[in-house]
Amino acid sequence: MANQKPKKQELEKHEVEGAKEIGKRVYEIAENIVHQIEHEHTPTFSTKVRGLSNVYFDQDKGFIQLGDKTVTRPFLNLGAARKFMQTVLVTEKCNEYLKHSKTASIREIYYELKHTVAKTNENTFDGQEESNDVIVDIEHSVSTIREKLGLQADPKGSLYGDITLIDRKHNNDEFSCKNLGRGGWSIMSRIEPDEIEIKEVNADFVLVVETSAMYGRLIEENYPKKHNAILIGTSGQAARGARRLVHRLRYEFNLPIVVFTDGDPYGWYIYSVIKSGSMALAAHSKFLAVPDAKYVGMTLTDVEEYGLQAVTEKMKDGDVKRAKELMSYDWFKSPAWQKELKLAIDKKIRIEQQALANKSLDFVAKKYLPEKIDNEIFL
Amino acid sequence: MSNEKTTKQETQVSKDGIDANVLFSEFKEHSVADFFKKNRQMLGLYGKQRTLTTIIHELVTNSLDACEEAGILPEIEVKISEIGEEYYEISVMDNGPGIPENKIGSALGKLLAGTKFHRLVQTRGQQGIGVSGIILFSQITTGKPTKVISGTSKERAVSLEITIDSKTNSPKMTNKVYLEKKFRGTGIKAKFKEIQYKKGQGSVDEYLRRTAIANPHATIVFQDPFQEVTKYERIVKTLPKIPKQVKPHPRGVTVDELLSLARYTSARKISSYLMLTFDRFGQTAVDSIAKMIHFDINKDPRKITWEEAEEIVSAIKKTKFIAPNTNNLVPIGENFIEKSLQTIVEPEFCFVYTRKPSVYKGGYAFQVEVAVAFGGNAGRLVSVSSPKAKNRKDSLDDQEDTKEVRVSEIIRYANKSPLLFDAGGCAITKTVQSIDWKRYGIHNFESAPVTVFVNLISVHIPYTSAGKSAIADEEEILVETKLALMDVSRRLGRYIIDKKKEAEKLEKRKVFAKYAPEIVQALSRITGADATKLQKNLDKMVLEKLKMEDLEDQKQKAKDDKIEEEIEEEEEIEE
Repeated sequence: MANQKPKKQELEKHEVEGAKEIGKRVYEIAENIVHQIEHEHTPTFSTKVRGLSNVYFDQDKGFIQLGDKTVTRPFLNLGAARKFMQTVLVTEKCNEYLKHSKTASIREIYYELKHTVAKTNENTFDGQEESNDVIVDIEHSVSTIREKLGLQADPKGSLYGDITLIDRKHNNDEFSCKNLGRGGWSIMSRIEPDEIEIKEVNADFVLVVETSAMYGRLIEENYPKKHNAILIGTSGQAARGARRLVHRLRYEFNLPIVVFTDGDPYGWYIYSVIKSGSMALAAHSKFLAVPDAKYVGMTLTDVEEYGLQAVTEKMKDGDVKRAKELMSYDWFKSPAWQKELKLAIDKKIRIEQQALANKSLDFVAKKYLPEKIDNEIFL
Repeated sequence: MSNEKTTKQETQVSKDGIDANVLFSEFKEHSVADFFKKNRQMLGLYGKQRTLTTIIHELVTNSLDACEEAGILPEIEVKISEIGEEYYEISVMDNGPGIPENKIGSALGKLLAGTKFHRLVQTRGQQGIGVSGIILFSQITTGKPTKVISGTSKERAVSLEITIDSKTNSPKMTNKVYLEKKFRGTGIKAKFKEIQYKKGQGSVDEYLRRTAIANPHATIVFQDPFQEVTKYERIVKTLPKIPKQVKPHPRGVTVDELLSLARYTSARKISSYLMLTFDRFGQTAVDSIAKMIHFDINKDPRKITWEEAEEIVSAIKKTKFIAPNTNNLVPIGENFIEKSLQTIVEPEFCFVYTRKPSVYKGGYAFQVEVAVAFGGNAGRLVSVSSPKAKNRKDSLDDQEDTKEVRVSEIIRYANKSPLLFDAGGCAITKTVQSIDWKRYGIHNFESAPVTVFVNLISVHIPYTSAGKSAIADEEEILVETKLALMDVSRRLGRYIIDKKKEAEKLEKRKVFAKYAPEIVQALSRITGADATKLQKNLDKMVLEKLKMEDLEDQKQKAKDDKIEEEIEEEEEIEE
């Protein structure tokens, strides 16, 4: 692939906002409620509506956006009272983290806040889903991402290749991901420039790989070095950190993004999220989505092309349903994708990345990927 | 026992110069037993459980009627013992007036001895197969005689055995013994085969429970074949009024009835026969009829031919009559039904409504009493397997967990006598099911803990068939029943909704009170605001909100009530 000169993208206000500004907005949630109670107005909490009713596909930008609809939750409502209480508790914790420059995992905040409500046998939170939910509410209420609230998701995904990073939050460690051993670097949940600085990248493109096994295979075959690629393994659906990293590499260093997943609706949806964002994080698509990400495989055309008929698997009913949903997405409307999805629905078969091993272990690194990427055979 | 009224009827007939034996000679000459055997279906003596319940029904009904006519508060003991497979001994004992020794034979040992057929009076029985039918059934299935003990207030109590000569329809009494101890009442003990005792719907237990509900003035004791005793204690000490026999209203008369009744009359002319025999039949009506028929209205009524009778009936149809007298109906009464349901069904609450008497087919007086009992022990207890327990991973055994739940039941009565069978074909069931229960706060009627009580009272109950366990779809009866049910349902609905609201309010108060301290403490920690003051304000706001909701509810309720009333008025008008 043609090597293009890296060019940094201007950072948006949102991205450079520090703990101070965010902290102020979190504090205001509490201040506002206190004000309401003091003036005997029903205490309320407002946030953006998520879900289908407030999510749309922005044709111009090529990714999913969140609309402007907001929802106001009053405390004095039987259905909303408990969640209101939980929101106030999480707000307090976030306020505390930001004040003392601490970070906690979303599991830690759950355990920090879980206790029995006084004079009852009811827990403040029943399961982490409840606190996770409230965290998303607060994120959307103060228009930021959880990482800026002092919270982080579990790290997921790995990075390998000729890329030099500086961890600004940890002794300013400087390291290149090409010599951290076969596993590469474990991608943090928070990848913002003030924490992880990308010092230097020497690569022609970024290859995003769904399975850890394929990630390991490609490193063992020395694929990144031979083909001048940065390798990112997502271990299934890409986490925020991995997506944010892909986004930064695309826009700060102008690297083309190529996605390589299993040939099934689940794999294609991984590509869909990297390319156009997800419903759950629609508000942050701008910092996560890469609309010009390319899809290399697996495809059902590959099955014909490389004679892999013997190593396909049957699709389950759920897979077929998912494929039909994908067909209806605006960003899957290209004739090539429609054809591919229709083929999958008709044949009811799927193909895994590892199925390429049927030819030989190094087939994927020596033939499949070079052939398809060099000739830009993308979907 | 029914003996007394039977004799009265007979004497009256004899005085009029007609021998009852002549009237019933047709019955006698045919083998009554053969007739009986062939028509078991018609007499309700089919199905092993149903037959048993019918036997109990006949005996208990007789006892209740006898006690009430004698002005005695009934105490009835029912006992069933198992002798062998599908072989039982049944005894029913009452504290009634007893039967004079010389009348025992004719009262109990003669089939169709009564002349209930043309009698228009609100009676439980109406079946008329009576105790004699039961004695005959015992005899047919076991070959054994029936034991009777009887004691009146004047005579010595006597014990004897009775069999019926089915060829001649005459009783045969043996083993007569006078009792040493004093006894007043009647006891009947007989053995039966081809019957079966089972619990559940259609059982004797259920029959007696329902009988107790409709007869709060009676004490009923039941010992089942497992020697378990159920006792329904008397709830009220007032005897119901004895329903008076009424003259038939001309509107309901058939050709056959017109001819049969003509045989009894002492009148010499058709005109006076009509006026004497029928209710609301005056000179104007006679004059109008006279113009329409093609023979002399002063003819001897005993000489009317079938064709002439047809002419009279069709003339009657074209003549206007005042609606029949409805004073002779004796409902159980709202108070008594409520007391009964409270004591026996033990619901959380119940609503009762006795409609005013009305008339169907233009000629028969009737009246409807309904009640809904809800919550508590109302409804029918059924066992259901709980699917939750079944799917639970941690339940190691394969046994399904069953739990008992209460589902709706409809208890139907005709003249206070429970109707246990043919529920599906009964107008009462259909009417209950036609009610839009959702509108009254019951979202699934089938699975709601509710007992619906309906008692139809009439001088002539329109049964669907000779089995006499289902009411026919008479338009006027359907309408009255529906209106009555709507009235009680409306009250029920209001109660349920109020109760839900009350529970919701309590829940709200609890929920807000529960979370408020958590919120206040956290807010105080973030902003440094005074926690006590915040808590005080929040408490105040909760109270105010609930108060406002209360006011809104009341407004809404007033509005609803108005709408309901309007709907009701419209419905009454439509009717």
